[in-house]
Amino acid sequence: MAPKDNLTAVLYGINDMRLEQRPIPVPKPNQVLLKMEVVGICGSDVHYLVSGRIGPFVVKKPMVIGHEASGTIVEVGKDVKDLKPGDRVAIEPGITCRTCYDCKSGNYHLCRDMVFCATPPVDGNLARYYVHDADFCHKLPDNMDLEEGALMEPLAVGVHACKRAGVRVGSIVLVLGAGPIGLVSMLTAKAMGASKVIITDLVDHRLNKARELGADFTVRIEKNMTENDIIKKVKSLLGEDPTVTLECTGAEQSVRVALQVTKSGGVVILVGLGKFEMTVPLAGALVREVNIRGVFRYNNDYPIAIELVKTGKVNVKPLITHHFTIEETKKAFETAKTGQGNPIKILIHANPEWKP
Amino acid sequence: MFSCNSGGADAKDNLSAVLCGINDLRLEQRPVPKPRDHRKYLSPNKPSQCTPTLEVLLQMESVGICGSDVHFLVHGKIGPFVVTDPMIIGHEASGTVVEIGKKVKTLKPGDRVAIEPGVGCRMCSYCKEGRYHLCPDMAFCATPPIDGNLSRFFAHDEDFCFKLPDHLTYDEGALMEPLAVAVHSLKQANFRLGQVLLVMGAGPIGLVTMLAGKAIGASAVLVTDTEDFRLKKAKDFGADCVYQMCEDKPEDEIVQEIKEELGCEPHATIDCAGAVQAIRISLKVTRTGGVVVLTGMGQLEMNIPLTSAIFREVDIKGVFRYNNDYPMAIDMVASGRANVKPLVTHHFKIEDTVKAFETAKTREGNPIKIMIHPNPNWQHCL
Repeated sequence: MAPKDNLTAVLYGINDMRLEQRPIPVPKPNQVLLKMEVVGICGSDVHYLVSGRIGPFVVKKPMVIGHEASGTIVEVGKDVKDLKPGDRVAIEPGITCRTCYDCKSGNYHLCRDMVFCATPPVDGNLARYYVHDADFCHKLPDNMDLEEGALMEPLAVGVHACKRAGVRVGSIVLVLGAGPIGLVSMLTAKAMGASKVIITDLVDHRLNKARELGADFTVRIEKNMTENDIIKKVKSLLGEDPTVTLECTGAEQSVRVALQVTKSGGVVILVGLGKFEMTVPLAGALVREVNIRGVFRYNNDYPIAIELVKTGKVNVKPLITHHFTIEETKKAFETAKTGQGNPIKILIHANPEWKP
Repeated sequence: MFSCNSGGADAKDNLSAVLCGINDLRLEQRPVPKPRDHRKYLSPNKPSQCTPTLEVLLQMESVGICGSDVHFLVHGKIGPFVVTDPMIIGHEASGTVVEIGKKVKTLKPGDRVAIEPGVGCRMCSYCKEGRYHLCPDMAFCATPPIDGNLSRFFAHDEDFCFKLPDHLTYDEGALMEPLAVAVHSLKQANFRLGQVLLVMGAGPIGLVTMLAGKAIGASAVLVTDTEDFRLKKAKDFGADCVYQMCEDKPEDEIVQEIKEELGCEPHATIDCAGAVQAIRISLKVTRTGGVVVLTGMGQLEMNIPLTSAIFREVDIKGVFRYNNDYPMAIDMVASGRANVKPLVTHHFKIEDTVKAFETAKTREGNPIKIMIHPNPNWQHCL
């Protein structure tokens, strides 16, 4: 029974997303062939659709979209020993060179020769079939489903951010922004033992979701609020200064607030990506030894993310708000673009047998 | 194919030093390897594992003898690693690149390199977390069943060959291996500028550990040993003070005398002897809140005064080879912060390998590091 249908979602140019057939790929000896199951839409996917680029990465030729995914193994390369056909996996989308200093010292996410799904010119995995290096496919435990599998990618971002922040039992955590990344960061912080988590956003329905997911306090940022207003509100609700701030918006005002509100000796993690040049009150943070650290994707975080969901410490299911089949990909991206129906995580199902 | 000063890889002469059994070391011809794009690991856990890799072909220049090489010769095994089939010996080495695989980008023929002998699988969690030295499928030169590099030619992964600055000799290149062990031990000890270091044992590993400790900026290093002549060498090479260990002296007296000699308790003690007495003393003499690093390997079971270390929060850490330490080792020597040249006491051509190992076994002439030279053009300069 040789499958011939490899329907694939391909980005041709700005606002030009097409579905087409592509050959079914053949796995190399260290790779597996996956029947793709669930692929989530990320803000970066939408950004490539709408702007055709993110910074230096420009969509110059047709590129398959999608990188937050799970699949079922249908074939393994001859050197693959730890996985077999039938295994369900979460797919870590970036393959590294494995030989440079960054790769060998454990920071493979910083590898300059990283090959990352749906970062041009590398094809993504929103297709019916896809091949990937076996060691970047993480087996899902029996009690996790394929939708949760696709959410391991954003959850890994949250795990990496909280690790970089040193969140632990007793941490007082402020999360700025309650989009999907703010929410997974909050979930991870709680799982890591944060005693209080406060989360901010411009929009009520997102803060409602945050409360549903366990936020201790929420702050709705209103248009006329100054930085000082926000800082005062956060501190008064918490009853103290946050020791960790996870900035998940990329907005300049939010970054400014992070630097001012965080406790002396604490840490600000800048997860959100915004303007290249920002005017920020740096000196105040520096003389108080507030460390400022960026994050880029994740490294060695998938196993932790899977453990968090497997053991019930984190519940990602409430993040899922919309489902589409791969045939409805354009409609899925429309929903992501317009925000109609207040989406948080939109999932696209590539398996033709999937039923809602 | 590119050739280099000694006739290059065209030459069919790949004389290799092969361990065929206990005390049975033979020189044999082996085929000259070709640099590969994929490498098969012969690991007991995964019989046929293929990891994409890029290789270079090296003309071997200097290969040092390690205590483990001698141990395999004399005992045929170290712990679970048993020499069951003929195996090329040697792993502390430097060479010249003579040929590169098609996709090799960072090295070219003529480059002089220090060779890091152990390559991990690159795929497991140890490898991806930066601790490739702990990879269960590690392929390490001259740890059975993996061939070593005491031969005229040897092929190795490009990224495990480190270019030597022009002013470093091949002997210094070969010494990067033991120096990397020292660098790794000091990292485990979290050793910093201005701290005080105690090194137990003045064999080659103790000596490079002392040199590396000074290079990092130790305010003082004390080296111990049972033998006077080794302590004298340690002093010549830069130890601030030395202390002679005596088996019969009560431990607490030794602890007291070391503290007096140093003027204080060491922040870190690195044991490079593997002897029970040395390890026991390490646990007692180290400053509260300090670190004891156990580099030397001795008996599997030991009776040790653990409680004192525990409630004084003296951490105990082990050492297994090194990871990502060659660049720092090379920098220490290139910058002049560590002088490893005097460690080389004996030279032999590869044809005289058996004699070289005899010298290592009998310790005739008090060798520290014995170098073997597989390059047929090598000449002993005095």
